[in-house]
Amino acid sequence: MKPVSASPLSPSVKVKLLNAGFHTSEELLQLKPLQLSKEGGLSLEEALEVQQILSRGVDQPGEGGARIGLTALELLQQEERSIVTFCSQLDTALGGGIPLGRTSEVCGTPGVGKTQLCLQLCIDVQIPECFGGLGGQAVFVDTEGSLVVQRVADMAHAAVQHCSLQDHDSEQQEAMKDFTTENILDHLYLMRCHDYVELLAQVQLLPDFLVRNSKVRLLVIDSLAFPFRRHFEDLSVRTRLLNGLAQQLIQIASQHRVAVVWTNQMTSQVRSGQWELVPALGESWGHSATQRLLLHWSGTQRQASVFKSPSNTERSVPYSVTQHGFRDAPHASPGASGPPRREAPSGGLSGSKRPRMQEGQ
Amino acid sequence: MSLEQLELNPRIIIAVKNANIGAAGDILKFSGPDLQRLTRLSVSDVHHLQTAVAAMFRKNPPVSALQLYRGECPEWDCGLRVSLGCPVLDGVLRGGLLPWGLTELAGPSGAGKSQLALQLCLSVQYPAQYGGLGSGALYICTEDSFPIRRLKQLQAEQPCLRRDVPPEVVSSICFSDNIYVEHAADLEALMECVSQRVPVLLAQGLIRLLVVDSVAALFRSEFQADQGLERSRHLMAFASALHKLSSAYQLPILCVNQVGWVRKLVNTFLLPVDSKVLPALGMAWANQVTVRLMVTRLPGVVSMETQSSAPRRLEVVFAPHLARDSCFFGVWREGTRGLPPPPTQDASS
Repeated sequence: MKPVSASPLSPSVKVKLLNAGFHTSEELLQLKPLQLSKEGGLSLEEALEVQQILSRGVDQPGEGGARIGLTALELLQQEERSIVTFCSQLDTALGGGIPLGRTSEVCGTPGVGKTQLCLQLCIDVQIPECFGGLGGQAVFVDTEGSLVVQRVADMAHAAVQHCSLQDHDSEQQEAMKDFTTENILDHLYLMRCHDYVELLAQVQLLPDFLVRNSKVRLLVIDSLAFPFRRHFEDLSVRTRLLNGLAQQLIQIASQHRVAVVWTNQMTSQVRSGQWELVPALGESWGHSATQRLLLHWSGTQRQASVFKSPSNTERSVPYSVTQHGFRDAPHASPGASGPPRREAPSGGLSGSKRPRMQEGQ
Repeated sequence: MSLEQLELNPRIIIAVKNANIGAAGDILKFSGPDLQRLTRLSVSDVHHLQTAVAAMFRKNPPVSALQLYRGECPEWDCGLRVSLGCPVLDGVLRGGLLPWGLTELAGPSGAGKSQLALQLCLSVQYPAQYGGLGSGALYICTEDSFPIRRLKQLQAEQPCLRRDVPPEVVSSICFSDNIYVEHAADLEALMECVSQRVPVLLAQGLIRLLVVDSVAALFRSEFQADQGLERSRHLMAFASALHKLSSAYQLPILCVNQVGWVRKLVNTFLLPVDSKVLPALGMAWANQVTVRLMVTRLPGVVSMETQSSAPRRLEVVFAPHLARDSCFFGVWREGTRGLPPPPTQDASS
């Protein structure tokens, strides 16, 4: 029995119905539209719509507020899936990779490898299940113009090469037929946004897109900061828009079992008389993502730190960006001290072991 | 965009108007529950409304990376790059300058920044099969006067530099007629040029390359140290104008920048410390740059045939599609040309 007051109807209609003495949606659905319009004081059009909305709410729990809750066990089972990064140390630090159903923010200065990590994830999410991957698809929203498709093709090619070097059982051989550079590119959907209004529009349309393309398991926005750091005289408007956007992204992540990853820029700020670099978009924005990853330099070595996470402790791990993509740092010894990895895709990769590819055209 | 353009039930549009929402774009700025409260519409109506508005504002539907790779989306990536006119330099840049975003060329004075910029102004004029875009260039000077004599010399020497191009093609292009020069003495003039004169030239199809030499000069000189916020606001406006032009016209943009010493930061770990100098204008500018290149002048002399030059290095600091790579080049009478990598220590870095 669902109360009328909790139904997704417009407030004015609800008031009319409640005043007419209707309390549950079942009561409303039993009546004929004409009866309902007479008794509820509604126009016939409104009455038809009320019944339409309520009947949809009954058999479609995904719509609007009529969502059935999940048990903790179901949540736990969902949580276990994550997307590997191809840097085994970072995967360990993240507890297996970038989790589905959650939001992650990647911060860092220009050139440290934010885009490279995002592109790598777009490819890794497509690794077939028999190789320990998810066999999913990806959406990449480009706001900065940082997507150059030749680079994606390089990385996809390297990932295919890597998987084809693994020991094959017949299932894997079958899967390899479909895991080609062409198919990887075909299953990566791109959207280009030139300003924040376009970005808001894209995000608004994403749920429908994800329903139509139900294999999508990763949404990347690179970067979220770029369109929101221009054209804003009034920062309170920006904060309101960003909060709304964060809500939408969290909803997308949990309702469609998608890992949502966005990148953020760094900005310099004076704190107690000294300059320091902090993630952009303000202090409160820091709470928006479930976890935050900071990519930074340590000398000439790239490092990643997980600095906000509900389940992982804070630590820094080295990584590198090679012509094949986002990888383990070359000097990180995969020997005794390294954590043993079960999943094939991220285990013991070192750029130098693999066949070198042609750079450039 | 007005509300009447929406393909929706008039009832919904009236409700939106009654809620005092004038512009369709504003609808995207409200959350679903907010809109329900303001317009007194039902959940499904609001959903229709939001979807219709979003569809109106979305310029392009999603495409797959494969379509882009095959060149089926020329409005996103036409597949063309602006060649630098030298296979060694082009090799480092995977063909040349991207036709979108901001490419920054930073370096100390005398490193060869303007030489490279001038050469791009010439090579952009070749037809596509020779690495150009078949159109002219606009060169905005903010520091020195335009090096017109050097341009004349480069023009005369083009057949010598571009031996890959048939001589009749080289001689058919009247290079200096297609290079427009603007001098911007202050920020106001620079902004006016970018927002008014550049679009006119673009709309007439006269240019397909914009060079700003340099961005640093005006922003460094017009603001005091304590006006950091003001400076970064102007810098953002400038960068955002360039980005808009670049994406609207697929216009390659080269911004020459100076370098400065690394500012003392508390958390210096955020920058790679292998470099003592950094491009000027700080993080606010760096965040706007798509591809950052650095040139440095090295000690010593290299010679080619009868000429000699100081060796220089072109380095990719960051780029979404390039490895951190570098190559050596020299500035010769006919233009800048890459040197084959020497067998010594620097080759690996």
